[in-house]
Amino acid sequence: MYLIVVYDVDVNRVNKVHKFLRTFLHWRQNSVFEGEVTRSQFKKITVGLKEIVNEEKDSIMIYKMPDKKYLDLQVIGIEKNPIELIL
Amino acid sequence: MKDPLYITSHGILLRKGNTLYFMNDEGKKALPINGINEINCYGKVSLRSGASSLLMKQGIPVNFFNKYGYYEGSLYPRIQLNSGLIIVNQSEHYSDPIKRAEIAKEIVEGIKHNLLRNLKYYKKKGKNVDIFIQDIEKEVIGGTVPQIMSNEGRMWHAYYQSFNSIIKNFKMGNREIRPPTTEMNALISFGNSLLYGSALSEIYHTYLHPSISYLHEPAERRFSLALDIADIFKPIIVGRVIFKLVNNNMITENDFDKDVGVLLKDKGKKVFLKEYQSKLDTTIKHPRLNRRVSYKYLMRLECYKLIKHLLKDKKYESFKAWW
Repeated sequence: MYLIVVYDVDVNRVNKVHKFLRTFLHWRQNSVFEGEVTRSQFKKITVGLKEIVNEEKDSIMIYKMPDKKYLDLQVIGIEKNPIELIL
Repeated sequence: MKDPLYITSHGILLRKGNTLYFMNDEGKKALPINGINEINCYGKVSLRSGASSLLMKQGIPVNFFNKYGYYEGSLYPRIQLNSGLIIVNQSEHYSDPIKRAEIAKEIVEGIKHNLLRNLKYYKKKGKNVDIFIQDIEKEVIGGTVPQIMSNEGRMWHAYYQSFNSIIKNFKMGNREIRPPTTEMNALISFGNSLLYGSALSEIYHTYLHPSISYLHEPAERRFSLALDIADIFKPIIVGRVIFKLVNNNMITENDFDKDVGVLLKDKGKKVFLKEYQSKLDTTIKHPRLNRRVSYKYLMRLECYKLIKHLLKDKKYESFKAWW
């Protein structure tokens, strides 16, 4: 499944969320991660995030779709980090 | 599904936090370690120790290729899937000449079918390949392993000669590899090397040991089982990628450097890699599994079929393209 994860968390935890998500997904811009994951990886991500975050104060939104093809990206301005696996 | 990472530029792979970074003059790029299943290095890539131990821990093989695209070696993680039983059976089927010839013959039957599949497609498009089709069809595969290898050699020769009739913009010449002397040879070598790396990665995800092979002679320096498996898929993967790139002018003369031999420039490599990766990800409905599988997964299935044969569960039938 394809994920877009956007977050808005307390400054004390921002770094932890960032470091955790970047092991699974591609960083696109501040507080935005995106990428293809398996169902077990999705479980790991949600469980991992719940351990880092304060569920009363922080907000993480996960947009899920079955395939990347359902996404139609339009960038206004620059794409800060294009997803590229051919470097 | 995890994806392969291809590095054509020069730089350093390092570990920062719990993930991988690629650093070069242009900056540092973070890579999701859990989204990668193999790394293929075509540029001058260094591995810092943190990165290499992270990759080994995650079971991610790193394959190194030289500038011509030739496989040089791999950083192969500690075998995660270990089965003494399979290795013993692999050896048994190699040591017994009849058992070995049985597998080698079936591999070459698969190669023959897939070569013909490509040529017949181009014959339908009006290309002049009849004589090459006949040359391949008349090969009767059998006998000892050296005889089977000669069968195979002659078929590849006819197949490569047919390129002169199929390819519009380049001349094939003879198949010359060390180094490649023409653009077509450079492309074929690059593609074959890529496929070898992919086959090796697929084998790594099974219980098979990559050094014990049947068609090719198990050699000291190469994982020859990967050569066996790659050969079956060369026509539908490497062949079709090259035809598409060349006949659609996606790669032209300007993409090559003529040094001692001919080699693809970085930009050309990226174009090839993109098309190759896209080909590997292409899915097709499998007649027996009754679901869509990627071309890359077809290679994995080939390994599973071999395992079933070695364990005397089901006779091995090599992959024969049905499209």
